[in-house]
Amino acid sequence: MLKTYTFHVTGTHCASCKILIEDILSEQKSVKKVRVNLKKETVDIETDSEQNPEELAELLTSKVKPNGYTLNVVRQDLTTGGGGVIWQAIPIGLVFLALFFILQKSGILNLGIGGQTTPATGFIIGLIASVSTCLAIVGGLVLSLSVKISQDNVSDTKTFLLFHTGRLISFAVLGGVLGLIGNAIGINFTFTAILGLVASMVMLLLGLNLVGVFAKNKITLPSTIFQKVFSVFRKIEHKTFTPLLVGFGTFFLPCGFTQSMQVAAIGSGSFMSGFLIMFAFALGTLPMLAVLSFGSASFAHGKHAPLFFKSTGIVVIGLGIFALLSGLAGLGIINPLFSI
Amino acid sequence: MNKTVSIILTLGLIVVIGIIFIGGDSKKENANRVESAQGVEIKDGVQYVTINARGGYFPKVSSAKAGIPTKLIMKTSGIYDCSASLVIRAIDFQKILPPTGETEIDLGIPKAGVPLQGVCGMGMYSFVINFS
Repeated sequence: MLKTYTFHVTGTHCASCKILIEDILSEQKSVKKVRVNLKKETVDIETDSEQNPEELAELLTSKVKPNGYTLNVVRQDLTTGGGGVIWQAIPIGLVFLALFFILQKSGILNLGIGGQTTPATGFIIGLIASVSTCLAIVGGLVLSLSVKISQDNVSDTKTFLLFHTGRLISFAVLGGVLGLIGNAIGINFTFTAILGLVASMVMLLLGLNLVGVFAKNKITLPSTIFQKVFSVFRKIEHKTFTPLLVGFGTFFLPCGFTQSMQVAAIGSGSFMSGFLIMFAFALGTLPMLAVLSFGSASFAHGKHAPLFFKSTGIVVIGLGIFALLSGLAGLGIINPLFSI
Repeated sequence: MNKTVSIILTLGLIVVIGIIFIGGDSKKENANRVESAQGVEIKDGVQYVTINARGGYFPKVSSAKAGIPTKLIMKTSGIYDCSASLVIRAIDFQKILPPTGETEIDLGIPKAGVPLQGVCGMGMYSFVINFS
């Protein structure tokens, strides 16, 4: 039985691409008819194959990959689409960066909270922390990973729910453990600083990828180290366990607020109070982080997706550089370059 | 949006961000100089350098005398931000300061010309004490 599928194709630059792709694909046994639409960047295939569209796209991609083309069921050119978009994205991204740093510099966030740390103050501190400089690392990481996941079009809602659940649970449980043993696990500064550096590297890579720096090189440099890193990354990030683990990992990311809360949990003296303090803190950070992840998902499927991806890329690169330089300064490798 | 307009906007924004990071310090530094005079005192042959931690460290630059026993006093009041997690690499000190209170850190007898630098755990706040 003949079926017709439409695939999105990337890598078509020239008129002869149409002929080349049609030639290669029509050599396939199962393919009866091929038509390439260069303008829409689609390939219509008539086939008697029983495979589902995803498998078919994979099979056909393997045939045209040596020539630099990729077939996909869903549109994949979101990062590469429209060269002019980058010129709108850079100012937009910089505006957000400027606003963020002005907010930090303004000192609004440095309000003092006196008295003993209770779950209620933990919640308020969480709210403040989620828009503070901690946002540069934790938020930047959440944003870049969320956008990447949305872009790859996997079940993003489920992934985000897993991440946030993992974060809430691990904060609460680890807080409880801190309260119980009353000892400083996970508060080794060098360890958190190194973790922060890793996070900032991930942000820089993802940011550059979102802006489309790597996408442009894809055809000419098929096996750069970056791409290998990415393929490993892509494989792990979609598993159920990974979002939970990343949520868990944010407990150890360098953030002064988190560390203060950890100390409060240690001092609280019991599993339950440590549990409640850290849970309340994580709950306080949730609204902002949820906006970042679910917001990016809704933008990613919207009309302005290419612009959104590139602007986010700029923001993430900016935050990544900030986090990287701060992390290096925190480790004493370089002098602090700035102070906000 | 026009490409030229965008480039102009971009350059403008880079300048703005640059000002946020580097600029605006001149005013602060003047204030710091006043504070630094008040932040250092010598009592019974021991020099006390006081630094306030709250959304950064103030004064950012202090000047103190070298060659006498010196103690650093970190003052905090209701803080939970990064400045609470203090790292001073030179004396291998790293600790989360209490949200409110004073923490005394023994600096030994500092040598002249060797500045002491403290940073917060994430590295975006720092202070320096110059000894002469």
